[in-house]
Amino acid sequence: MKVKDLVLIGILSATITAGKLALSFIPNIEIVTLLFITYTLVFGYRKSLFISLIFTTTEIFIYGFNTWLLGYYLIWPLLILSTALMKRLIKSEYGYAILGALFGYAFGFFFALVESLFYGIAYGWAYWLRGLLFDLIHGTSNFIIILTLLNPLKKLLFKLKRVYYNES
Amino acid sequence: MNKKITAIIIVLVLAALGFVGYKAFISPKGVQGAKEVTINIVVEKEGIDETFSYNTDYEFLIQLLEEKQDELGISFQEFDFGKMVAGMMGYEADPASEYFHIYINGEDATTGVGEIPLKDGDTYTFELKNF
Repeated sequence: MKVKDLVLIGILSATITAGKLALSFIPNIEIVTLLFITYTLVFGYRKSLFISLIFTTTEIFIYGFNTWLLGYYLIWPLLILSTALMKRLIKSEYGYAILGALFGYAFGFFFALVESLFYGIAYGWAYWLRGLLFDLIHGTSNFIIILTLLNPLKKLLFKLKRVYYNES
Repeated sequence: MNKKITAIIIVLVLAALGFVGYKAFISPKGVQGAKEVTINIVVEKEGIDETFSYNTDYEFLIQLLEEKQDELGISFQEFDFGKMVAGMMGYEADPASEYFHIYINGEDATTGVGEIPLKDGDTYTFELKNF
């Protein structure tokens, strides 16, 4: 990995943390999913996996260590790998919007699974049910955000990438 | 663009239906009418074991706790998903290692304090625990 790649990974990790903090006052409406999908499509899954690792570790510095952060180490790589695997199958932004929506709807369920490993199935079940409305907002907003912003963002980043790596 | 707007409207309508379904079938429902309930607070390390009986028309436990906040020495912490009991009888749980576990008639509560409906004759126990 070149120095340019390392710098890029650092900058992109910072954009994800900044993007999350900027929207943190609105529960479960975020651009992290959009950014991870876009970064995977533009910069590839390897760099994106590093970005997710740095992003989650930064979250620990900001919020302190919590069990839900363990889930973060798994769920964002899962999104990145799903995006990379679906890349050949998905031909338009609609497919990624659906992927982001499903990811948002399943977000609480995934964390309920992680929480139930620590506190038992009853707690995990309660955790999931209590968060269902937030998952509904999360998945729906992901769909709208990705459908409207993925293509312009992807176009811009491909352009910036060419300049950054001096590609013709 | 029209196609995208149509897709967004469809998703919003489906989300609204999901919301209605949640409210109708999943969200906890309060019980109307007069109730007599008991609140028990246990903080073993401070030697606190207090019991309070109340007659109330409130439908949810959180409403009763908010009204009796001073008497029960309660402090709340606000989260995206609602309120959490952070302190009782003037004792503040250490957020790094302690929390108030809720029992309803001796059984573990399966929802947060904001979603627990009050039922006549029920006992709600708040016990400080470590995690």
